[in-house]
Amino acid sequence: MSRFEAKKPSLCKSEPLTSERVRATLSVLKGIVTSCYGPLGRLKQLHNGLGGSVCTTSQSSALLANLSVTHPILKILTTSMQNHVSCFSDCGLFTAILCCNLIENAQRIGLTPSTVIKLNKHLLRLCISYLKSEACGCRIPVDFSSTQILLCLVRSILTSKPASMLTRKEIDHISTLILRAFLLTIPENTEDHIILGESIIVPLKGQRVIDSTVLPGILIEMSEVQLMKGLPVKKSDSLKVALFCASLSGDLSDTGEGTVVVSYGVSLENAVLDQLLNLGRQLVSDHVDLVMCQKVIHPSLKQFLSMHRVIAIDRVGVALMEPLSKVTGSQPVGSLGSISPSSYGSVKDLCTAKFGFKHFFHLIPNEATVCSLLLCNRNDTAWDELKLTCQTALHVLQLTLKEPCVLLGGGCTETHLAAYIRHKTCNEPESILKDEGCNQTELHLITEAFCSALESLAASLEHDGGEILTDMKYGHFWSLQADSPSIVNWPDLLSRCGCGLYNSQEELSWSFLRSTCHPFAPQTFLPHEAAGSANYLTLDCFTAKLNGLQVAVETANLILDLSYVIEDKN
Amino acid sequence: MAGPVSVKAALEVAEVLETIVSGCVGPEGRQVLCTKPTGEVLLSRDGGRLLQVLHLEHPIARMMVACVSSHLRKTGDGAKTFVIFLCHLLRGLHAVTDKRKDSLISENIQTHGRHWKNCCQWKFISQALVTFQTQVLDYVMDQYLSRHFLSIFSSSTKERTLCRNSLELLLEAYFCGRVGRNNHNFISQLMCDYFFKCMACESGFEEVFELVDDCFVELNVGVTGLPVSDSRIMAGLVLHRDFSVYCPADGDIRTVIVTETIQPAFSTSGSEFILNSEAQFQASQFWIMERTKAMMKYLESQNVKLLLSSVKQPDLVIFCARLKGISVVECLSSGEVSLIQRVIGLSPFVLPQASSQFEISNTALVKFCKPLVLRAKRYVHLGLISTCSFIPHCLVLCGPVQGLVEQHKDALYGAFKMLRQLFKDLDLNYVTQASDQNYTSSPLIYKNSRESNQLPEVVNGSIQSPHQGTIVKNRDELAKTQTYLKVYSNLVVPSVELETRILCSTPKVTPTDTYQTDETLRCFSPNKTGIIDNHESFTESNSANSTTENTRIEISYENLQVTKTAGKGSMLPVRYKSLEICTSQSYCFSSIPAGCVLPVGGNFEILLHYYLLNYAKICQQSEETMVSMIIANALLGIPKILYKSKKGNYSFPQIYLKALHALQTSQPMVSSQTGLESVVGKYQLLTSVLQCLTKILTIDLVINIKRQPQEIYDQDSEEEL
Repeated sequence: MSRFEAKKPSLCKSEPLTSERVRATLSVLKGIVTSCYGPLGRLKQLHNGLGGSVCTTSQSSALLANLSVTHPILKILTTSMQNHVSCFSDCGLFTAILCCNLIENAQRIGLTPSTVIKLNKHLLRLCISYLKSEACGCRIPVDFSSTQILLCLVRSILTSKPASMLTRKEIDHISTLILRAFLLTIPENTEDHIILGESIIVPLKGQRVIDSTVLPGILIEMSEVQLMKGLPVKKSDSLKVALFCASLSGDLSDTGEGTVVVSYGVSLENAVLDQLLNLGRQLVSDHVDLVMCQKVIHPSLKQFLSMHRVIAIDRVGVALMEPLSKVTGSQPVGSLGSISPSSYGSVKDLCTAKFGFKHFFHLIPNEATVCSLLLCNRNDTAWDELKLTCQTALHVLQLTLKEPCVLLGGGCTETHLAAYIRHKTCNEPESILKDEGCNQTELHLITEAFCSALESLAASLEHDGGEILTDMKYGHFWSLQADSPSIVNWPDLLSRCGCGLYNSQEELSWSFLRSTCHPFAPQTFLPHEAAGSANYLTLDCFTAKLNGLQVAVETANLILDLSYVIEDKN
Repeated sequence: MAGPVSVKAALEVAEVLETIVSGCVGPEGRQVLCTKPTGEVLLSRDGGRLLQVLHLEHPIARMMVACVSSHLRKTGDGAKTFVIFLCHLLRGLHAVTDKRKDSLISENIQTHGRHWKNCCQWKFISQALVTFQTQVLDYVMDQYLSRHFLSIFSSSTKERTLCRNSLELLLEAYFCGRVGRNNHNFISQLMCDYFFKCMACESGFEEVFELVDDCFVELNVGVTGLPVSDSRIMAGLVLHRDFSVYCPADGDIRTVIVTETIQPAFSTSGSEFILNSEAQFQASQFWIMERTKAMMKYLESQNVKLLLSSVKQPDLVIFCARLKGISVVECLSSGEVSLIQRVIGLSPFVLPQASSQFEISNTALVKFCKPLVLRAKRYVHLGLISTCSFIPHCLVLCGPVQGLVEQHKDALYGAFKMLRQLFKDLDLNYVTQASDQNYTSSPLIYKNSRESNQLPEVVNGSIQSPHQGTIVKNRDELAKTQTYLKVYSNLVVPSVELETRILCSTPKVTPTDTYQTDETLRCFSPNKTGIIDNHESFTESNSANSTTENTRIEISYENLQVTKTAGKGSMLPVRYKSLEICTSQSYCFSSIPAGCVLPVGGNFEILLHYYLLNYAKICQQSEETMVSMIIANALLGIPKILYKSKKGNYSFPQIYLKALHALQTSQPMVSSQTGLESVVGKYQLLTSVLQCLTKILTIDLVINIKRQPQEIYDQDSEEEL
């Protein structure tokens, strides 16, 4: 009997953003994300009172996934960030902070939401078209003939995740590994469109980070017992491989919707086992050296195969099937009947390897775009963080391959962009005023709110009470130590800007970021040699940051546009 | 517990709803965030959804929500306007009854007694409302309002071709009220592009609407995490699943659809398979395997490169397909299968039961089939070659959160529904009271004001007429049903109720006695000569309504003829009587032609307001005058809200005065806004609201029952939107 219950009426609240509670929760969230931002960000320890492992992190993906927010507005904000992160892996905190800043600033100026939204959208369009234009002063094209920029990009990502607990040397090591792993996934003979391979991250916890390594091919973990059985004798220059996706455990396959009546004395198990052994005989006569199965192999068949010096590996799992098929060039077999010879594949060699305390089979391919990244770190939480970071870096490299340019990091893009927008709206306001039907004051207020949201985003890279400066030529980001003397010669105190492109000896003039300075035109067009000049640039992924910017503004607009919140209390 | 229903209580409820809803109305409206019990968040400006998620408890509120949802089911638009209009009507009624009550108070009646007295009074008012809805409204619409109508079709040609510009204006106005203010331009542009891309030829747009409306779920893909501006249209069809086997192939790809597993099972349902020996088991397994292989080999030999399956295929089939180079997509939903069938005209391949020869006649070609990756999720992208007037395209809708994507999906779906309504003719019929009561031989005027008959694509009208003769026939049938109704209904029933019934029965005229119909037809065939093609009125209506290009054919004949010809029937005396009753009235049948639009910004409301006031002035009956006045004033509530935030020249009083001035001096009305809206939608909304109000007024008592409802499902379906 179905139970019918009257639905409870929902709770309806008007003008949710004006409520004190919402503001408070928003600022708490902002506090959390802001304090995590950047290489000097503080770590968060997330632990569930009901059990489960403790997570120490400063990454948006881990942070937002574990936070449970209750207020619907926060929920919109966090899901929006999570969706962005799941698409682009990077720039989650950037997006979250920018969104919070925009909401906060818009509330402070107290204009009608419709004006704010309209102009925010317009300013966003300005930003996007500038970042995409040739004249953009904070974008560097990527030259794939040298690894320098890519290495800088990976290194910036690793540096910005302090919870992986890496030393400078370890960062260098891991970033080289990541880049090598990425390059191994690119096929050598490129046709019209490239299909990238895969890098499989193999965990090895409790080892030194320096022990991490990249190997072409696939590592499959195995027990020590299996190791005892020894390797097949190599007859030719490659080993023949059969890959099964069907279960070889000897259970009956689906018998249809009707009933099957088995007479007394008839053993179907035996019948199936006979079939399995027949299969085994065929494999042996086809000179197969290695049998791998996604599911379970029947012990008798295993025994039979090992008697004929064929190595059987079962329970490979569905995740490894596609890379295995790619590495060996074999077709996963789905039947217990006769196997056509075309579905066999081959590997160049098979060897055993011991890393730490774990034993692996290492399948060495003839030529394939699959590699294994053996990742070590001292403890579980740091390893988890490192793994996430590596995935992010690999994804960012893929995105960069699609859109070959990078943005200057370290807060420089944000301050530069803010300077550009300020200058643009101050000097040519007519077109905007005409398009959007608002007045000069509104435009000025909203531009100020938008730019200061960008600037305070950059400023949240600084966590130790230092001062943030910006130069009046490039509009870059300079940070000043907290305890610097008041009467200063700035060029001596500041060494390099946030991204590392410019140094302080260049006859620049500075001003404090939050002071009201008159708008100036930041220098567009990067110097040509910029790309090759510095070795240690801080760089950001172009695609991810661009999308982050758009998503942040859109989400902020969405939240500002809310007039009611209806909560279903059922 | 029982509580009396009063206009006051209903007004209180409506006012609460109005405050919520009015925040979302019009281009300046804002969003509402709804949470589901599951924790999902949803953004919406859709009035229907808002009312639904509120889970209202108040009985009157629930009735209003039920009325709104039944209206939405019909038209897909106008929930917010519904609430606002209803609220203003109640307010007007309340003000009127308050005044009357003052005069009643002196009589010093007991409260309870007064309640009943009030109920009687409301009963009269509700009757007046019904009268208004059935007689006055249609009359005013047809006589006065129709001259202001514009058409969505381009007026340069006689053919019904859609004007892209007007469609854009219409859609933009629609999305202004449905999606966030940032996105309405983009979404309406997207929808417009989508529509014109999907349309194979200019004339086949109705089929496109029908197909998109039916299969909307299959024709869009939601992607979260990207900005809305990344939404786009893709040629071909995107299936919401990945390939089970993908084998790249060039050129046109031969495709089959199967709805069952290719590998035969051991036993089918309802049967028993008896295994007597192990050898038998092995043999049957071998047979199954061989048969599957043979089948796949056959598919290969027929050059089939793509297998679409609505069920999950066994491993063996997948394996064979991979060997034979056949791509496989499994687990298609029934919606997807039916969409593919409709678009490429391919019926599923039926597996032969016997092991004899296979034969596939049902194959079709697709231009391409390839995997598509959207935000790390894989889809199948098919380039279907269409055999109908719909060229398949898919909408990829992006947004930072799922709630926003859902909102855009709903809005697009609603827009298609709205457009489908717009392209239907809407029949109007009303009774014009002849001013002279002694007027005995008033002619029955059947007005047919649909598109000229030569156009073949007039589909949606209730009566499709290839030549004029049939019009007469249809009208005859109508007249007959009308008389039948008179016969069966009590003669004392006021003609008002009768009219409503006719209104309902018009689309499907079902003569109870076919013999009689034939007879009437026969009798009328010589009458064809008597049809007067009234050229005068034809030109008149054309000049009054130049854009809609109506060809009005007025057919008139005398009442007496009806009685004579139908008099051969057995029910002569009764019918004769009934005709006597209605001799002093003339029936008008008219329609709002398909594609009628008016500029947005309260244009419809102000026009109707103006003409209703005019009508009220010449009206003799006080009840009717009062109702017309109340409705006319309530109509203004909508433009008032729309112009709330505007200042100066664009404020409501200014707009209103300007419009009135233009109407009085019969100058064209100038609208400050560029969008368009559907007249049919507005008309239906008005009637729905009036019906709802009548319902509220006729209920005198709400009885609260504290018991488990008996029929759960009925109640659920009524609450569903």
